[in-house]
Amino acid sequence: MSDQKPNKKPEKKPDITFFHPDLLEVPADGGAPYLKGYRCKGCGQLDFPKLSPCPSCWGEEFEVVPLSRRGKLYSFSDNFIGQAGMKTPYSFGYIDLPENLRIFAQLEGEPGSFRCDEEVELTVGPVRDNRDGVPLISYKFRKA
Amino acid sequence: MKLQRKVYIAGVGETKFGRHEVDFDVLGRAAAFEALKASNIDRPTMVQSAYVGNGTNGMVVGQTVLKDLGMCGHLPIMTVESACSAGGMAVHLAVRDVAMGLADVAIGIGCENHTLHMAQGTAFATAMSDIETVHGAVMTGKYAMRAQRYMYETGATAEDLAMITVKNRRHATNNPYAWFKGEISVEEVVNSRVVASPLTLQQCCGIADGAGAVVVCSEQMVKKLGIQKPILVAGSVVRSGPYHNRPRDITGDDITEESAHQLYEESGIGPEDVNIVELHDAFTIAELLYYECLGLCPKGEGLKFLRDGNSTHGGKCVVSPRGGMLSYGHPIGASGAAQIAASVKQMRNQCAGYQVDPVPRVAMTHVTGGGLSGTEHAACTMHMLVSDW
Repeated sequence: MSDQKPNKKPEKKPDITFFHPDLLEVPADGGAPYLKGYRCKGCGQLDFPKLSPCPSCWGEEFEVVPLSRRGKLYSFSDNFIGQAGMKTPYSFGYIDLPENLRIFAQLEGEPGSFRCDEEVELTVGPVRDNRDGVPLISYKFRKA
Repeated sequence: MKLQRKVYIAGVGETKFGRHEVDFDVLGRAAAFEALKASNIDRPTMVQSAYVGNGTNGMVVGQTVLKDLGMCGHLPIMTVESACSAGGMAVHLAVRDVAMGLADVAIGIGCENHTLHMAQGTAFATAMSDIETVHGAVMTGKYAMRAQRYMYETGATAEDLAMITVKNRRHATNNPYAWFKGEISVEEVVNSRVVASPLTLQQCCGIADGAGAVVVCSEQMVKKLGIQKPILVAGSVVRSGPYHNRPRDITGDDITEESAHQLYEESGIGPEDVNIVELHDAFTIAELLYYECLGLCPKGEGLKFLRDGNSTHGGKCVVSPRGGMLSYGHPIGASGAAQIAASVKQMRNQCAGYQVDPVPRVAMTHVTGGGLSGTEHAACTMHMLVSDW
């Protein structure tokens, strides 16, 4: 009896492979993916990412609003020295959406190919490896 | 915070910056001991409170630094963390204690060792819980985006930005505490390898180790200690960065603008009266933008201010006279305190070989900290210092 260990350590859960279903919707029917904005039912402020409570009025109820899939690349950088564990080069930028929201995202495309104020569109792809070494899928933008 | 009674800097200390084989505590202790001796303090029990700024070196950093000076057990010691602003914030808290009458002598220290602990060839990022960090954000790239946009809007070139490195390295030529110093050409800066476009290696501060320390005291204590050249702390400001998730102008910097405004208001000193500035020149673009944010020149005229020689010896305001972070490197918790130490030495005419002439009477320091998503910076600490003899 003594060799039985009733308190067996629980198995480690695998790390996530999809970054945040609260922020990104990829329809199962093959429809175009979109970012989810959150409109506060109290004051009407639209935010991305989801901020709860609403930083403006502390409201806790929101309506989900699909955000525009196209925006303008405000600025960007091609990174040749990156975070520990990330393959370089990779590019990221700020994308301004018509909803008056700015999104920080990785850019899909060759370093040296991006320009300020050009049109970009949402896409979905790997942004890094997760803790298990499996690609983590999230939103990205590419030239429209 | 409006200071409620006069606070003076009695003495300062700094280590040489660069790659050190001794850890943060040895560096912090060396700077602290130098600052204490320069303040005519001859025993560990005279100091009534201590704040130690550090970004990455772990727990109870403050006590680890001060234990071997015999100070533990005599005073409250608190470790202060706000990434690159930590050292400045530590000094601010020491100033607060004296201003509020909680102490007559307090010390603010900043210290950091990165090179013993950090993976080579990687860049700084904030915690993985941050939405931008998950997507690969690093500080180099975030400043690079400011440079990219600035160049796009103003037509400034890579060569223009490179002039900041050239100037600051020249300032540091004879500064024994600086790491990278002396002659470097615009071409060498521009042609060094790209770290984060459009910023090249020689436009980024080095990942370094070092420490700075500042002893502050009351008016009565300045006399008691027999300090010949007391430096008045005319203002000490800490702010947190406003959050935005909407389009904004990143060629400005809201937290720096607000901090500067508050500092000018509280000290009664305007930008035109400031003789020297040590600012957060972690990247070339930062110094250029901060000329405007600090009001050293009108908005949109930063490049002209630089080209006209207004930010170097003989100009309106010598910016980064010690050589700045572009020469010292940037041990994140140390820089804020070291900037103040270097400024005090300039005001005391102790910088043979890199002394600003005429000897500055008014100095300003500025460090931001942390790349939290939605903020330009998480923190900003600024000080206004005035010669009082």
